[in-house]
Amino acid sequence: MTDLNRRLLLKSAALAAGLDLIRIPGAFAQDGTLNIALPNNPSTLDPIQTSNHDAMAISNAIFENLLEVDLDGNVVPSLAHKLPVINDEATRFTFDLRDDVVFQNGAKFTAEDVKYSYEYMLDPKNRSVRRTLFAPIKEIVIESPTRIVFNLSQPYRPWLQYMTKFMGIFPKGSREAKGDDAFKLAPADLGTGPGVFVTWQPDSHIELKRNPNYWRKGVPAWSRVMARIVPEDATRLAYLMTGQAHIISSPPPRDFERLKTTPGIQTGSKVAIGGMWFMQTNTKRAPFDDVNFRKAVSCAIDRKSIAKDVFYGLLDATATPAPTGVSYYNAEADKAVGYDPEKAKAFLAKSKYADKAEFELLVPSIPYLFDAKDGALVMQSQLAKIGIQMKITPMEQPQILTRAIAGTQVACLLPLMAPSDPTFIIQICFTNNQIMSKSSGYTNPELDAAIQESYKYTDAARLDPVLKKIQAILVEDCPNIFLGFVGVANAWRAEVKGFKPNTGLTMWIRDVSLG
Amino acid sequence: MFVILGRVLSSLGVLVAVSIVLFTLVHAIPVSPARVVLGGDASEEDIAEFERDNGLDRPVIVQYLSWAGGVMKGDLGRSLIDNTVIAVTISQTLPVTLELVLWSFCLALVIAVPLGVLSAYHEDRWIDHLARVVATLGVSIPTFWLGLMLIAWGAVGLGWFPAGGYVPWSAGAKPHLLSMTLPSVSLGLYYVAIISRMTRSSVGDVLMADHVRVSRAMGLSRGRILIYVLRNALSPVVTVAAMSFGYMFGWALIVEQVFTIPGMSRALLNAIFRRDYLVIVNVVLVITAMFLVANLIADLLYRWLDPRTAR
Repeated sequence: MTDLNRRLLLKSAALAAGLDLIRIPGAFAQDGTLNIALPNNPSTLDPIQTSNHDAMAISNAIFENLLEVDLDGNVVPSLAHKLPVINDEATRFTFDLRDDVVFQNGAKFTAEDVKYSYEYMLDPKNRSVRRTLFAPIKEIVIESPTRIVFNLSQPYRPWLQYMTKFMGIFPKGSREAKGDDAFKLAPADLGTGPGVFVTWQPDSHIELKRNPNYWRKGVPAWSRVMARIVPEDATRLAYLMTGQAHIISSPPPRDFERLKTTPGIQTGSKVAIGGMWFMQTNTKRAPFDDVNFRKAVSCAIDRKSIAKDVFYGLLDATATPAPTGVSYYNAEADKAVGYDPEKAKAFLAKSKYADKAEFELLVPSIPYLFDAKDGALVMQSQLAKIGIQMKITPMEQPQILTRAIAGTQVACLLPLMAPSDPTFIIQICFTNNQIMSKSSGYTNPELDAAIQESYKYTDAARLDPVLKKIQAILVEDCPNIFLGFVGVANAWRAEVKGFKPNTGLTMWIRDVSLG
Repeated sequence: MFVILGRVLSSLGVLVAVSIVLFTLVHAIPVSPARVVLGGDASEEDIAEFERDNGLDRPVIVQYLSWAGGVMKGDLGRSLIDNTVIAVTISQTLPVTLELVLWSFCLALVIAVPLGVLSAYHEDRWIDHLARVVATLGVSIPTFWLGLMLIAWGAVGLGWFPAGGYVPWSAGAKPHLLSMTLPSVSLGLYYVAIISRMTRSSVGDVLMADHVRVSRAMGLSRGRILIYVLRNALSPVVTVAAMSFGYMFGWALIVEQVFTIPGMSRALLNAIFRRDYLVIVNVVLVITAMFLVANLIADLLYRWLDPRTAR
């Protein structure tokens, strides 16, 4: 190197150092700010309207409910002092409430607020998107400021799960005082949670500050949360790598393995009972009006290779509506319609569409929870091997849902992140008068009876046999093609302490601290 | 003066025509925004009620006239999805996008014009070959991929720039400029290629012209000749640059998404995802207006550079 070049290099380095350009200041803020990156821009923060799981990561830090899902996936008390006392008929749920909770506006939390919040959500004129899920609530009775009773019209086990995710308690009279728009766009001082809403700049970020009067002492450890909206997978990853974000949700599957061994980065994933991925086939429309054709499709799809090669292990492959790791997983049912090319050919040969085996599959063109297009392409090639031609039609998720709800689709791929209840998807797809009933066109009195029976039980000893029976019924009729369960995955920097993926939400930030 | 007035009026006519076409096309999308607002569980009755409340059940022509009437009074309406005032959304996001486009445009001009002139002056020499390589890369590399590579290099690798996000001027000039550097390069490189090739071609043609040869023969300085050459060669470059300025608003959509910049293009993309009809129409109209303004300025520059066109 010549002197001139050396001099030039030294000058450049000095200039860069002088301008402080060598490295941007570490985004790991010293002021206790927790930076997180979420892929989706919320459309609302109203706890009775949120349907997007990234929005729930924020709204559930502002609002709380009587129960919550802990980091191990258990339903535990939150604003309730303990789990509810349930009568023998499982129709009366008595909650004892905490006496030390105050709202962010300073008002004391009482049973009046719980009754007000639930009755507001249940009122049809308020158009809560989750109202139908709580429809069995017949009456809410206040016994004392710290005791409230929910009377249900029938045993309905899942509603405690729904409570952890789809509702939040707000102060009595707050809707009239603040209006629904405040809940939707700027819910400042309206919850009891650890985070107080500060600002929301659409497409950019949402800011929360620490609730100084939070009832859990010493929590949260952060002083501020900056939730950045970063839809691009690679950019979200770069945010993590550069320290602009401490925690990211939905890391791209293809990068997840690499992240596990990246210094300074930690990862975690958990199979979510509600994270079901399935091909919703319409049993009223050809060729899926033939059970043999449906079974042929189901047996032709090698779910395990898709899970391994496309989702890099972030999909728990199963042909039944149960993850393989849960106690009610029915292995025999899985095997009956699982991958078996020879069986697939035999079913196709018995089908009335053996000579003209083709159909159209609607696939979400914009990823929701994960990108399903690659998986669809692999399925297309697997089906072609047994002589079934599948035409892939990319379509946006809302459009697919519209068609499915109207029952006008032949088949569509649906990724859903439902509450962690084993019957949620089955209830909405395969029983009468539900939102997705027409998408399958399938009902079965035996299945209805089994679902109703399952509502009576909460203990595994009695519930598991019923759930296994439900799987057996669904495998026999094969009304749709179950593909597997999606894991909730996060990646975070090593400085972050107290964080684990939570199956109830895409991100649970309350207990996080910055090491 | 009358010519300018005529151009302004014709631009307004284009805006009206675009608004009609846009309104019709957007309303032809089969999915109701009610489905996005109320969620997949909403009943058909809920959907109908939402549409009734928001006037979406009216004929498209009635909806258009109602919206156009509001626009004439400065009211662009409210988002169907989050009820935000659209004028506020645009006033918050337009400056961000405009700044990004202006930086990219300046970057493109500052690099492309000298590069084009040099390669025309030094035809088939190394600088010409270099310019050709830059141009080929510029038009070949997809903007989103370039953006990701710049993030990998400049943010993750070197740590000199943030991986994304927009830092306002109020947070300091340095962090602001750092946050705009990679997006501007990402957006501008394609136009470096386009404008440099156009400059080279145009300057090359003028260099062959008789008047340049005569100027050289008369012993005029290289600097003086360059001024004459540029005056004659820049007219097509101005036209291409103006078109590029308009197109940049479209490509900003990709760049803002990759770099998570809360600009107008990103707002448009989100509005498209959410079926937010009114936001789509208003934002596209603003972009159209920018395009028309850029072309109007190009027309004026064109007349200044080549007074014959004014006649």
